[in-house]
Amino acid sequence: MAFNFNWSPLTADAEFYKRARDLLTTALNKSPKPPIIVDDIIVTEFNLGSVPPDLEILEIGDLAEDRFRGIFKMCYSGDAFLTLKTRVQANPLNTYLSAKPGFTSPQPLAAASSLTIPLQITLSEIKLSAFIILVFSKQKGLTIVFRNDPLESLKVSSTFDSIQFVRDYLQRTIEGKLRDLMMDELPAIIHRLSLQLWCPDQMVKEDEEPKEVDEPGVNPLATPPLDAVDAHGHLLDPAAISELTLDGGPEAQLLFSQKTLRRLSDLTRSQVTSSLDTAAPGDVLFRAWAGQSDKDTNSPPLSTPNLARSSSYTSAHTYTFSDSGSQDHGSVPSRPSLVHLNSATAGLSLGSGRHSKAGRKKKTRVVNLRRKAETELGSEQGDETSETTSTGIPMSEPLMPHPILEVPEEDLVSGKVRFSRSPELSEQSRRPSMRGERPKAPDAQIPAAGINDSVTALQPPIQLSEKHRPQEVSKESGTIDSKADWRRSRPMSDTSSVILEQAWIMKMAGEIARRVYDEKMRNPQFWDDQDDTPPPAYEAR
Amino acid sequence: MREFMYYITHAFYSATGWNEDNTYKELNATARELIDFPLPRGLRLTLSSLATPHFATSYQLGSVGIVDGSISYLHSTLPLTGIAAQSDRIPLPALLRSYRQLHDLGSGDRRQWYWGTEEPPAETAAISSTDGIPDRHGSSLFYGRLYLPRSLLEGLVIRRLTPDLQVQLSAVSERSLRNGGTLLGLAQYDRGKYGVEGLASTDGGLLGIRGLYNFGGDTSSTAATLPTNSSSSENNGGGQLGERERIYGRFSAGGEVYYGTLNKSGGMSLGARFATLPAHRGTPLTATLTINPLMGNINATYAVLARDYCSLATRMEFNVYSYESEWAVGMELWSNRRPAGFLLGADPNSQSDPDPGPPRRKERSFQAKLEWRLDDEESESEAPRREAKPAAARSGKEYRGVLKARLDQNLRIGLLWEGRVKSLIFSLGTGVDLRKLGEPFRSLGLEVQYSS
Repeated sequence: MAFNFNWSPLTADAEFYKRARDLLTTALNKSPKPPIIVDDIIVTEFNLGSVPPDLEILEIGDLAEDRFRGIFKMCYSGDAFLTLKTRVQANPLNTYLSAKPGFTSPQPLAAASSLTIPLQITLSEIKLSAFIILVFSKQKGLTIVFRNDPLESLKVSSTFDSIQFVRDYLQRTIEGKLRDLMMDELPAIIHRLSLQLWCPDQMVKEDEEPKEVDEPGVNPLATPPLDAVDAHGHLLDPAAISELTLDGGPEAQLLFSQKTLRRLSDLTRSQVTSSLDTAAPGDVLFRAWAGQSDKDTNSPPLSTPNLARSSSYTSAHTYTFSDSGSQDHGSVPSRPSLVHLNSATAGLSLGSGRHSKAGRKKKTRVVNLRRKAETELGSEQGDETSETTSTGIPMSEPLMPHPILEVPEEDLVSGKVRFSRSPELSEQSRRPSMRGERPKAPDAQIPAAGINDSVTALQPPIQLSEKHRPQEVSKESGTIDSKADWRRSRPMSDTSSVILEQAWIMKMAGEIARRVYDEKMRNPQFWDDQDDTPPPAYEAR
Repeated sequence: MREFMYYITHAFYSATGWNEDNTYKELNATARELIDFPLPRGLRLTLSSLATPHFATSYQLGSVGIVDGSISYLHSTLPLTGIAAQSDRIPLPALLRSYRQLHDLGSGDRRQWYWGTEEPPAETAAISSTDGIPDRHGSSLFYGRLYLPRSLLEGLVIRRLTPDLQVQLSAVSERSLRNGGTLLGLAQYDRGKYGVEGLASTDGGLLGIRGLYNFGGDTSSTAATLPTNSSSSENNGGGQLGERERIYGRFSAGGEVYYGTLNKSGGMSLGARFATLPAHRGTPLTATLTINPLMGNINATYAVLARDYCSLATRMEFNVYSYESEWAVGMELWSNRRPAGFLLGADPNSQSDPDPGPPRRKERSFQAKLEWRLDDEESESEAPRREAKPAAARSGKEYRGVLKARLDQNLRIGLLWEGRVKSLIFSLGTGVDLRKLGEPFRSLGLEVQYSS
């Protein structure tokens, strides 16, 4: 497999520069400017230079003809430059007064008279070094997220270079501004540009979206996720998805009874209005309870997907950015806005904070814990199917159900240890993809632990009667999903999912059996040891 | 339109005998008000009341897309008995007139200035006669205003310490401000011939001082006694003023310096003004020049009270560093017709001859000019005296509206039409941009004020 990145045709296209200049100009003038800038910021010159950036592929999570997902390491120290033009207010008293209330203004007579100075700023010698998450799909366009601060250094030269104080100030301010631009605005620009290029029809839809926001129909099933993943992190066949939605869509809506929906909306509203009278829908598993198994799944630092899931829970619209392009029914409320990307990163730390809190529950009896871990397995995975795709965080390995392996191990650890571990956990999980060894770490563990997991996890369903078990799973996952987020799109429905689950299970069973066989062939003595003692949680019941 | 509370505050100034104009801040107030008058936006209703001589309230409801409002209260330790607070009796020039006549500099026995050229209502005579009440200089004014949806709170305390010294403390509290609010302290010292102000703001630790020095005109020793004489009547001056028929005015010069102790920035400016005194025979005029040497900004204004019903002002600004220049002209036209009179194209001049106003005198007769002498003083001084009184009384009733207009170098026009309909004082304004003829109206607003 080879990638061919072509740098020069991009830079040779005169039309491209014009478009990029326009986009940059609008992006720079969008946010309210500080009072010192009295005119529009105009991008007069923009050149990407001739030196291409160095790209290193760290990992590829998803690769198909119409979509791609991967993490890159990018280093750039080329000859690109950017020239901005604006006018600044040189009278400090004028800018001082402009932001103050008039009532306490000293009302100077002429001391605040304005003196505007044209200012030209050239940014050059830009050095970048970033980890980029790139998600591309034909329907959604191109999404780029910087996982770290990409700007290493740059040189700011301006009209005021001779004045040391002003130069330092400009350098500092512009670096800060540019960091914001890189983290927030640039992904939006690229996304819009890619939408223009690949799917112009989506652009029209985005404009129409605000009208549809107010639609009362909150239909979680109307919009399936684009990159649907099954319970074990394997990508679903696109054909299967379309079939799923076509068949199950209308029926599935009927499956959520109006009563339940009303109760759930009551519940969510009660949180908004801080009403004391909260309805208590029955048969509901709350996230707070589920946190326990979350925590278990998160104990290995590798499990980014779970972290991502919790982040999308704390800020529910995080993933609208990547999804909105694909909305057919317009039920995603917000237009792609890059502010959400911030909340995504914030959500990561939030999520880890939640795990440390959940650790308090550790004091419950061991038996209880195991039960829960097992019963919620299905729902957890059900959530992951929709959420991992939506946050757009690539998965380096199929989502193996870690909890099963972790339960016995965690039981031995006291609650206090859990607390002390959580900070470093969050520290580790916050920047998972920044580590160079990240791709290697799964290699070390997965053959041993991961497959072991999948075997133990899937053995009970196989042993159970095929009719009973899948229904139970789908019922649980359905309630949890609809409770957790109304807009979350999930292709599962009872009727369709029963069939689907059965098909999955059969397929997975075959797959796993094959893997186990392979593994056994490679490493027979290891498997002999492990198979003898199944985890106590999965003894026949 | 000046707000009701502004009107009451200035009534307080005049009741305590404080000369509000003798400060560098008000150097170019005439031109500023003629040109930079605020245009109303949206709909705004104000209900005000001077409930007791000590207490005033004002409620304001506005709608510019969203509905907002404010509640304000004012308390004065000095009874404001002489104030016409009812909106059907408030003299319109006190609320609407932009051209400011200079008034006397005497530090002890000041009269109300803000009545302008109109005759003060009869009640004010009582005030001026009771000027000698002893607690006048220890009086204070408290003012508070709460803007409702924004939760912005304004507070103002004015305290007159001695006849020459007044202290103001104003504060704003709002969540969005840094530290939750700002405080501005102002100490004003007015000696008549000069006025000095020192100020300190908590915002950026701004310190400032500004001063104004008056010379020429009535400040010279020979004329020093004249204004007090003339002030008892309708600014009608004695016969001695006849010597000064050519030009009779007062020069003022001043400057200001500011320094922000926290942000280490500052600013300064210098300014000068020439303005004719009310006793001047010719056309009243005001000319100012301010220079900001740090920023290279030169600002010149010229305002003239061409007729009693017409004021004009121009302003030129030039920056010697950036070569940017600006100009603006403003106009104010009073009407003694019903408010709709402007629309019907009525010419106020044709309807009734405009009263010349107290400062204006009869021209020297042609015969007298030829002979290089003045007219006979007896006939001269008697005639206007007889004439002025009914004229002023009539004009107070007759002026029902004023049209203000301005134009600047960006071809933006501001139009404001203010007047009184029954007992409501209204202000209807619009901004027009001639550069964008497709959608010329940039803003439109109506303010209605009722007070009792």
